[in-house]
Amino acid sequence: MAISNSLQKTVFTPARQKLLVRVVAFVVMAIYTILTVFPFYALFVRSFVSTKVSTQLWLWIPPGEELHMGQEVGNLAVFYQLDLRDFKEAMGIPQTEFLMARTTLKEVSEEYNVPEEKIKDYFKDYYLFNGWITLLKKTDFFGSLGRSLLITVASLIGITVLSIFTGYGLAGLRRRYQMAVYNLYLLQMVIPAMLILLPQYQMIQWLVNIFPGYAVQGSFARRALQLLAIILINIKGTAMSTMIYTSAISAIPRDLEDSAYIDGASPLQYIRHILFPLLKVPIISLIVIQLPAVYNQFLEPYVYLDPANSTLLPLMQTVAGQFSTNYQVIYACVFASVIPLVIVYIIFRRFFVEGVMAGAIKG
Amino acid sequence: MQSATTGPLSAELMRRPVKRRPSKLERRRILQDWAFISPQLILFVGLTIVPLFIAIPILFTDMSMFNDPQVNPVGFRNFTALFTDRSVQRDYMPALSKTLAFVALNYTTVYIFGLSLALLMYEVGFRGGFFTVVYLPLMLSGLATGYTAVMLFARESGTVNLLLLELNLIKKAFDIYSPAGTMFILPLLVGWRYAGYNMAIFLSGLLGIPEETIEAAIVDGASYWQRLWKVYFPQMMPAFIIATISCLIGSFAVFDELVAMGALYYNPEAKLLSILFFMYGFQVKRLAQGMTLALQTGIPLIAVGMLLQRLQRRLQY
Repeated sequence: MAISNSLQKTVFTPARQKLLVRVVAFVVMAIYTILTVFPFYALFVRSFVSTKVSTQLWLWIPPGEELHMGQEVGNLAVFYQLDLRDFKEAMGIPQTEFLMARTTLKEVSEEYNVPEEKIKDYFKDYYLFNGWITLLKKTDFFGSLGRSLLITVASLIGITVLSIFTGYGLAGLRRRYQMAVYNLYLLQMVIPAMLILLPQYQMIQWLVNIFPGYAVQGSFARRALQLLAIILINIKGTAMSTMIYTSAISAIPRDLEDSAYIDGASPLQYIRHILFPLLKVPIISLIVIQLPAVYNQFLEPYVYLDPANSTLLPLMQTVAGQFSTNYQVIYACVFASVIPLVIVYIIFRRFFVEGVMAGAIKG
Repeated sequence: MQSATTGPLSAELMRRPVKRRPSKLERRRILQDWAFISPQLILFVGLTIVPLFIAIPILFTDMSMFNDPQVNPVGFRNFTALFTDRSVQRDYMPALSKTLAFVALNYTTVYIFGLSLALLMYEVGFRGGFFTVVYLPLMLSGLATGYTAVMLFARESGTVNLLLLELNLIKKAFDIYSPAGTMFILPLLVGWRYAGYNMAIFLSGLLGIPEETIEAAIVDGASYWQRLWKVYFPQMMPAFIIATISCLIGSFAVFDELVAMGALYYNPEAKLLSILFFMYGFQVKRLAQGMTLALQTGIPLIAVGMLLQRLQRRLQY
């Protein structure tokens, strides 16, 4: 032991040791960075890798393949979700004709007098962009994205404003009713989500059915009310939001409030012009924690929204179910729905780092 | 970055409310308080508390689905079913053991990813750029994490599988749909996703350690390992407790990832408790039973959570 200690002292001088630690640390950081970014990269590449060649390793977008005229229609339909109605229409084949699964494209060309060039043209972008084309043309991707963004923005603004109101009303927790309300919010932490999922659904149904337009399938009122239901669930307040805002607002000196009132400010003006700027840290840290959770919400939209009115995650689930053998479109959908949030994250990364660190301290 | 707002204040918050007859000014203040509390409180009561009270009577019935035409009271049968009903046990026990295995492994990843990255970052100084990278996977949804897991580890087409086979690092491909595959790959991906979150917890614990204690240890010739166990860890106990609570609650609630791995349909290996409760409610028409099981599973969890929170409070002061 003594020998190894003296050895350590001679070989590892403090300066050298520090350097060594740094080098090792940077190597580990570099490796971890690669491991973290790789799945995102793999998603991107795989959105171009057709199911047929998916058992080979692709680290870059595979080369496009010349369409083989010996392809069977059935295979195309299974692996690539080729829409036969669409195909027949484009080729000028009457819809009444039935294409057998074993029919090859060559036979189609001969039987229906379709030039091979026309078929090849139809399938030109087939191998590489099948996923993206299917996603953008056959599913309501942009509509879902829009609804996701709408719900996210409305929910975050709503919960911030309402939670600040709650925190302002509860600040100090001096009175009995304040304590009671505060404890009621704390109860939220211990209620299992599955226990109230169904009764919550009943409450929402009761609420939305008050409005006459809701019963009409596909009406604007129905779609709007469904989105509103999700927003209401998101802004109803949690134990965390109440705890953080109540303690943050309690920490602000009462003198500030009194002097604002002496200057003739209304409570709303006090909140807007004095509380709001002072609460920057808790607001940012709650928003950066809630943003991914709301944008990536699955269960509530899945339960409450009509398929034609869905947000990104239910859409992802629908796509994965409907095109279960078409990996390209599934991974294109996953990738495309992740990217908007990643862009927001990269732009506002400074706030994320600050907010998360501040939030972690508060627990 | 300062914790001034929580510490001593919450002790003050816990003081008993003062009881006395309110003056006119105070009455106005009370009204104003209610005006600000009520918008969110109405929503909260309507969508969380009222549903809770609707849910409780359902537990004592045989309600099978959402709009069951015939609901009969059955007393405590739903509560005892866990101990007497064979069919419930057959569903519950495997799901429970899988969930516990998942919790244990997921808890390991909290340390493998979160703690070690935090220690690393602490040694070389806080780096915003690296923090951004580690936190990035949290932008993935649970569903996307599940599909990514399938994409990386499916037996025939998984990118990682193909890569490792190509590099001759493994002989046989992993299979995410096999029992072992689901058991290990899922916590790996979930741990990877929450790495940034856990790292933030541990890092803020580390940054809260007074530097003098560390310097004193270095002057006294403590090795890194000794410093770790004798200086760092004891002083970041609250961080350990927060990470434990959030991991515990998060792992029991894991749902979306499992759905993406086909738990609701073709993949029995991914059938954890959360999936079981959902299936009882929506697929196999045993709604009341499912809700009861959710409650029965939740109670010990809540007890552990509260115990840990109490411990944390004691450690803080």
